[in-house]
Amino acid sequence: MTERTHSLKARLVATMALLFLAGMMAMHLAVRGYSMRAADLSYDRLLAGSALSIAETFSIDGTQVRVDIPYAALDMLSAAPEDRVFYRVFGPGEETITGYEDLPRMPASRIRGQDPSELPTPRFFDAVYRGEKVRFVLLGRQVAQPGLHGWVWVQVGQTRQAREELAGELVLGALLPIALLTLLALALAWFGVGRALRPLQAISADLAEREPSDLHEVRAPVPGEVRPMVEALNGFMRRLEANMVGMRSFIGEAAHQVRTPLAALRAQAQLALDEEDPWEMRRGVRKVERNAEHLTRLVNQLLSDAMVMHRADVRRFETFDLVDVVKRAMRDSVPMSGDVQVGFISDVLRAPMHGDAVLLGEAVKNLIDNAIRHGVPDAQAPDAEVEVGLHQVGDEYRLTVSDHGPGIPVADRSRIFERFERGDTRSSGTGLGMAIVARVAASHGGRVELLDRDGGGLTVRLSLKEGK
Amino acid sequence: MNLRGWGGIVLCLLALPAAGREYPARSAPQGTLTLYSTLDTTVFEPIVVDFQRLHPGIGVRYENLDAMPQYERFVREADAGTGNADVLISTAMDLQAKLVNDGYAAKHVSLSAKALPSWARWRDEAFGFTFEPAVMVFNRAAMKGRRVPQTRAELIDEIRRDPEFWRGRIGTYDISRSSVGYLLASQDVRHSSEFGALVEAFGDIGLQVEEHSATLLERIGSGELVAGYNLLGSYARAMPGSGEKLLLVYPRDHTLVVARTAIVARNAPNPELAHVFLDYLLSDRGQRVMATQTGLPPIRKELDGIYERLGVDESQVGVLRPIALGPGLLVYLDRQKRKQMLDSWRAILDRPR
Repeated sequence: MTERTHSLKARLVATMALLFLAGMMAMHLAVRGYSMRAADLSYDRLLAGSALSIAETFSIDGTQVRVDIPYAALDMLSAAPEDRVFYRVFGPGEETITGYEDLPRMPASRIRGQDPSELPTPRFFDAVYRGEKVRFVLLGRQVAQPGLHGWVWVQVGQTRQAREELAGELVLGALLPIALLTLLALALAWFGVGRALRPLQAISADLAEREPSDLHEVRAPVPGEVRPMVEALNGFMRRLEANMVGMRSFIGEAAHQVRTPLAALRAQAQLALDEEDPWEMRRGVRKVERNAEHLTRLVNQLLSDAMVMHRADVRRFETFDLVDVVKRAMRDSVPMSGDVQVGFISDVLRAPMHGDAVLLGEAVKNLIDNAIRHGVPDAQAPDAEVEVGLHQVGDEYRLTVSDHGPGIPVADRSRIFERFERGDTRSSGTGLGMAIVARVAASHGGRVELLDRDGGGLTVRLSLKEGK
Repeated sequence: MNLRGWGGIVLCLLALPAAGREYPARSAPQGTLTLYSTLDTTVFEPIVVDFQRLHPGIGVRYENLDAMPQYERFVREADAGTGNADVLISTAMDLQAKLVNDGYAAKHVSLSAKALPSWARWRDEAFGFTFEPAVMVFNRAAMKGRRVPQTRAELIDEIRRDPEFWRGRIGTYDISRSSVGYLLASQDVRHSSEFGALVEAFGDIGLQVEEHSATLLERIGSGELVAGYNLLGSYARAMPGSGEKLLLVYPRDHTLVVARTAIVARNAPNPELAHVFLDYLLSDRGQRVMATQTGLPPIRKELDGIYERLGVDESQVGVLRPIALGPGLLVYLDRQKRKQMLDSWRAILDRPR
């Protein structure tokens, strides 16, 4: 059972939602600041207009400043219909000429660096008055009359309700579409992920509906991101299929190869049984024995071939010493009571390499076996000799097995590596030996060559990469 | 005129302590509501009675004051923290607006309040609950055979044509003492280009001024005066026998409309009762009782058409100019502005003839 993971969709949408939420909060702060400035800007103009229209009515009557507040000065402020309005006009000595005497003064920090200039420039500030935050404008006008000169100031204030409302509306107007878009994006992501994953469902359905033997590659169109997975799946199925084909053909061939000698064995046994003459019977039984030996060898080779095929696929590699492997293989394959001389010549003491020692051992055994079987023209000849050599050339090991046999015609040399092909049809070989060698060489990235030996005979050379 | 004016003040001062009445709760008392109001106790009584019919547990203490003293007393009490008024009712919309602006009023939100026209409402704190045009009142008998002026311009013409007929026989509010008179005059200054000429004409023929509508109406009814300018029509129509004696003219050039204004005090001792009362006053029932039993025209349009409320035909009325509650009303309360206006008013009226 696969480990249960979170839904891709829920994860994606949750991440997006979090991101959007954070974005919205940041945006809210920014938009709020901006909206406040915008609202202040527009209502400040009104406030300044009001102050200016009051300042325009200043007049001097002797030593008295007169103010005639125009109706519009305060009425125009009812553009902010719910806001309260305060004003004060005061002279050079801070004495109130008219209006609310206790209005807050402009904070000293705002006055600094702003000396009254010739032009009346309105200055704005916020202050709390009568329990509410109020936006004030302060506007000065210079008067110069014989009885009075200096600055006369008008201060007009308005509570901030309309500003807050306007700012709120601006914020809402800016954020609402974004919020809606966000929701839309989340919905799109939710359904989009579903859509994007639909090809996977198609693949699942395809695989679920297949016969066990159907190993065709998956051809459903998939998004680029999923393609590697599908390709890996297809590669896996290709290997599986090749494996199955190999297995099937092996079973078929093995059955075929075993059936014929079994039938012959049975027939010879039958003949031997029917023989009256003990000498003839003995001859028949010897035939049976020889055939049984051949069969045993065939079965051993088949199992060896199957083992090699399996291990070559599995590739369970490790580091080992090739010299050891060759010596052990020689011990295993040279018959105890044989008259055959098998010699080993090596110019290296140790030959470390990376690979499957069992496979290589099997290959060497087969080569020696072949050399003994085919390479000795006359088993009784005293100089019959098989020579095993191991040399290092560059980063390669060259393992050679030489005999004094008749050799193999050049035309047949490529054929020899096929399974169940024999160099000489009359020989007693199974036709598997060289196929096994070729397979082992291929699984180790090496190669097998057949060479003519000086002075007659065949040399099989196995070249393998040195490994640390 | 001076003698009469002084007499008015003396009368007024004498009347002050006695103005007001206590209407105790009739069942399980919930408390006693205190009203400061510029409306005569007797005029307002039916409203209180009907209110107590709905809310027998609420006692009502009704204090009748003039607008300016009421304003001053309220502010004094509120600043000292000894405020005992729950609801303030005044014809002086400007003073009520100033109370709201200066933070003395509490918010009142109700469906009835929302139904008011926008000019009669400010900040959900001040609510106009009547609809009272300022009219010209003539003595029917005295005007027999004469052309009745329909506009300010026509009134000026008539005065110019026959100054002797009008001399000492036109009256209006003394704007230095009557708050509603000052409010109306200030709005006339704002709206009417002819007001200056009219005051000039008044100055030429010896204008009679009074602090109270009742006195003016009595003098017109008795024939001592021929005409009154800028009087609240509601008082004229409420006067017994006014139909035969008085002729009401809604100036065709423009007719100012005043709404009596109620506010709930921010530091009201009984805020719940105050809100209950204000809600009643603005409700259909309160407005209907007010219209039928006190003669004060209601502000809620749902009750009747505008002209039915005034008891006149549409053709008799010109442009109605309701005075809107809002910060603009503060302008004429400005110390200097008020002084300048009163100075020029006196300069015209008191000049030697």
